[in-house]
Amino acid sequence: MTAVPAPRRVAFPAGLWGMLMVIATEGMLLGAFIATYFYLRFKAPVWPPHGDHAPPIATTLILTACLVATSAPMAIASWSAAAGELAKTRLALVIALIVQCGYLAYEFKDFSDELHKSNIVHDQYTSIYYTLLGADHAHVFFGVLLNLWLLGKLVTGLTRYRVRAVQAIAWYWHFVNVLTIVIVGTLLSAHA
Amino acid sequence: MIAPRRHALALLPAVAVLAGCDKQQNALAPESHQAKSIASLFWWMMGGSWIGLGLIVALLVLAWKRRNRRGIGSDTEGDKPGEKFAWRVVIGLGIVTPIVVIGVIFVIANLFVIKTTEAPAADSTRLTVRVIGHMWWWEVRYPGHPAVTANELHIPVRVPVRLEVQTKDVIHSFWVPRLNRTIDAIPGRTNAIELYADTAGRYRGQCDEFCGLQHAHMAFYVYADPPSVFRRWLAQQSKPVSSPPPKLFTTAGCADCHALRGTSAKADVGPDLTHVGSRSTLAALTIRNTPAELEDWILHNQAIKPGNQMPDITISPAQAHELAVYLEGLK
Amino acid sequence: MVVVTERLTRLEHQWQARPGVLGWLTTTDHKRIGLLYFWTTLVLFGAGGVEALAMRTQLARPNQHLIGPETYNELFTLHGVTMIFFFIIPMTTGAFGNYLLPLMLGARDMAFPRMNALSFWIFLGSGIFLYVSLAVGDAPNAGWFNYVPLSSRHYDPGHNIDFYCLGVIFNSIASTLTAAQFIVTILKSRAPGMSLNRMPLFCYAMFAAAFGLLFALPTLSADVIFLFLDRNVGTHFFDPAYHGSALLWQHLFWFFGHPEVYILIVPAFGIATSIIPAFTQRKMVAFPLVAIAELLVVFIGFGVWAHHMYATGLPTMTMIFFGAATAMVVIPSTIQVFSWCMSFIMGTARFNTPLLFIAGFIFMFVMGGLTGIMFVAIPFDQQVTDTYFVIAHFHYIIFGAAVFPIFGGLYYWFPKVTGKLPFDRPGQIAFWIIFVGTNLLFFPMHILGLIGMTRREYTYPSGLGWEPYNFAETIGAFITTAGILLLLGNLVYSYFRGVESGPDPWHGPTLEWTVPSPPPDYNFAVIPTVRSAYPNWEPAPPYEWLDRGHQQVESEGVDGVIGDIVGMPHESPWPPLLALTLLGVFAMLVLGKFEIAGIMGIFTLLTLVGWHSKEPQES
Repeated sequence: MTAVPAPRRVAFPAGLWGMLMVIATEGMLLGAFIATYFYLRFKAPVWPPHGDHAPPIATTLILTACLVATSAPMAIASWSAAAGELAKTRLALVIALIVQCGYLAYEFKDFSDELHKSNIVHDQYTSIYYTLLGADHAHVFFGVLLNLWLLGKLVTGLTRYRVRAVQAIAWYWHFVNVLTIVIVGTLLSAHA
Repeated sequence: MIAPRRHALALLPAVAVLAGCDKQQNALAPESHQAKSIASLFWWMMGGSWIGLGLIVALLVLAWKRRNRRGIGSDTEGDKPGEKFAWRVVIGLGIVTPIVVIGVIFVIANLFVIKTTEAPAADSTRLTVRVIGHMWWWEVRYPGHPAVTANELHIPVRVPVRLEVQTKDVIHSFWVPRLNRTIDAIPGRTNAIELYADTAGRYRGQCDEFCGLQHAHMAFYVYADPPSVFRRWLAQQSKPVSSPPPKLFTTAGCADCHALRGTSAKADVGPDLTHVGSRSTLAALTIRNTPAELEDWILHNQAIKPGNQMPDITISPAQAHELAVYLEGLK
Repeated sequence: MVVVTERLTRLEHQWQARPGVLGWLTTTDHKRIGLLYFWTTLVLFGAGGVEALAMRTQLARPNQHLIGPETYNELFTLHGVTMIFFFIIPMTTGAFGNYLLPLMLGARDMAFPRMNALSFWIFLGSGIFLYVSLAVGDAPNAGWFNYVPLSSRHYDPGHNIDFYCLGVIFNSIASTLTAAQFIVTILKSRAPGMSLNRMPLFCYAMFAAAFGLLFALPTLSADVIFLFLDRNVGTHFFDPAYHGSALLWQHLFWFFGHPEVYILIVPAFGIATSIIPAFTQRKMVAFPLVAIAELLVVFIGFGVWAHHMYATGLPTMTMIFFGAATAMVVIPSTIQVFSWCMSFIMGTARFNTPLLFIAGFIFMFVMGGLTGIMFVAIPFDQQVTDTYFVIAHFHYIIFGAAVFPIFGGLYYWFPKVTGKLPFDRPGQIAFWIIFVGTNLLFFPMHILGLIGMTRREYTYPSGLGWEPYNFAETIGAFITTAGILLLLGNLVYSYFRGVESGPDPWHGPTLEWTVPSPPPDYNFAVIPTVRSAYPNWEPAPPYEWLDRGHQQVESEGVDGVIGDIVGMPHESPWPPLLALTLLGVFAMLVLGKFEIAGIMGIFTLLTLVGWHSKEPQES
């Protein structure tokens, strides 16, 4: 049996394709939530309905900017991991994690405060508002868990597997950040 | 549009079978211009379908005739014999022909016929009937008149009527195939179609959207009456009750759900009974409207229509008889 | 030669399956997973079939009281849910797809073998979950499309619909994982030289179905999440009294539901387009058109959903838009039908059992497709929607275009999986019995719909002319059952008494016919290369022995050039464990114990951490 020499290229690893699949599914799920928001909006005579409020513009935008900014350290972590620089990778991840945890802590408090003021079962607006926002927070929370896991793995150094993990999780965060922008934009559109 | 004669010849067995059935709910025994257009669409499309199917069957039979003519592996390598010709067939029959045929169907059905099955404009008819679906019966109202009845509506023959459908609970659908397409009754909105009957008669309809336990027993009749008959019927239905009810009507609990216009019984949970004796059936065409069957219904309706919203009334047969006699008298 | 046997022994040793039940429980081998799927879906097919026979028996005569409305409503709901989510999709993708995809691609396994196992265990868990609902008398009962408000807490207060919502999500996790698996495997695990234009049509079909599943399932999940929240938390997505919308349910559902029906038939198209070249001994006519059509039908299928809602009072312009899209989606199917027929004619057809089923499939698919074309006419659709005419349409399509190829595929690949040839004569007889039975069962339904019989009635009155058709259909149902029993019984008999088949009894076109029957654990001792879409007819020199470990080749996206050698996992306990924790989550959710469900969710996360604790070998 003759071996046929075949050129080798640096492949786009299966693991990253897998993360793309996750992004596609979750993007579609949240897309359905967003479509529902607009469907309910255009069926309603007044939006937000009486007794409901759109989220505050300033605080929302500032918080979102903080979260979206963590794409930078995540990207740096990804490049550093590919370059084999363990310390830089860990540092970038820790910076990202601190901001993400801070964001999450604030949002949890804010979410439960708002729920006390305006119950989810009030009407169709509160139903979709809290569900959509809650879904976004859940994805941020899962991302935080992923970062924690990653830092745990990196305690014993970098391997090819762990490099791919950093890349995949960085992509997850880019997805979550874009998602947050879209969701925040959707919820703020009630001001229009 | 009138069904072309030559189709009857080609499809004689089908027509014979279909025409021989009881016509009551037969979409292919249309009695309005809408239903006739739809039936006509169907006959043409069915004719075309038999041709299409025949072609495919012919191709498969041809393949069968050419079976096993060469050995295993004789055509498996290299260029495929006859490929160019085959591509032309695929493009011609698989792309061009369907585009043309479907395009014709689309234009005729969705740009022309559809205008007759749409909701009529709000003030385009002299008469409006409003039907409200309940689990599992139909409330029938005539806006502008006090008449309220159930499971039976009357319209004047050859007069376009605006039919509005609503629902009190889940999604139902109002379907009387000999007159028009089905139209859903959706909570929170009102839908409408035009009802028009060419000939006087009785047309059967049914709820056409699964609505729970007794969806199977939610039928109704549409009576197309000569205009004078219709006017008399509507006037009669608009009158209050012809005689006061026995005390039993309240003590047995009937007044908790059923209205008798002109009395203190005003509940609208169940059908209005003001002229129940005039209806041809009861319980949405489940049983005939006779004293004996009405008695049985009062006492044992859960056995007749299990799960329906009316409980078995715990009174004696004699009391049930008294009620039935009274109600049958409400013509 | 000595070197070869030495290397084979080494390979066998590296890839040997763990013995016994534990080996099956922890398997990550795509072939074993495919077989697990096969047996499970066969049982569920039986359940769905019994549900159908029960309904047909009740409907054989008017006004019967064998089955009351409560039970009947659970029966038709379960029948639809079972056949769609628990038979067709897992049989075509989970059983056929899993078993055959790596073999056809020239790979040793899927891209993510442990995730593959997870798909199966989650699927099994969801099947158990759903049928527990039947056992406790709380089976879903509002139809497989479960419209609100009928399915809201107010009108359906029991657990029935909660089982529906959660069962559907639970099941969709398995299908989503399978879809992701197929897409990545097709992109990454093809043999060297298998550029996309040399990929077998079966793989195109699986790719199209996977794409459909990935993008359609989330909409269904969103829909049932909203319903679950409405029912259990008190939100108002669907409640018009609080300005929710009943039609919202339908839009979200059918946005999933229509692609779903293409997902049902496209993998079966893949089976058909595998059998046709083998049993006509000719390359498929217009291969590129067929491949593109398989992808297009799913893609365009995402744009037609509102044609399920023509009776709801949508604006006319909206309906016309969806009617136009529906008209377009017909074309990829007509392309394929004529390609198949011309392949039959231009090749040398051998009408053994597999090809008979494909001929039957073409007939039935065209029957169903023609009534589908009738639905392009919106007023006609509005007349017969929700009647037995629609039931006729979709059963001709589903039974004809999905189940017939499954039956043909069973006979086609039986030798590959078992090493034995199936007896052909009984197979042919079974085909004819099934063909007659299904036509007797489903054809009269067209007439019934036109003369007024609506769907989902547990009984019907006499005097409307519906009796003879119903009776004939019930006879047809039992004839079909007899045919299926003969079909399957013949396979059992062939397993024990059949002749040895060898690796390639049919002179098939694709790579699975180059390996022994049944295939060894490692599939290919020597990784093949490919220079044609029919690699067994036009072989290429192989790539190399790959026996340095539990490894397979990873390739580049479009042109199949080698990228990497990757280590593959051995047996693993994590997939069944994770599925078990998920079963716990869903069980607690359906019981309303949300906190405990959360705790079970933590177990799921911990299992995920354990799963990723051991890293793959670097090469």
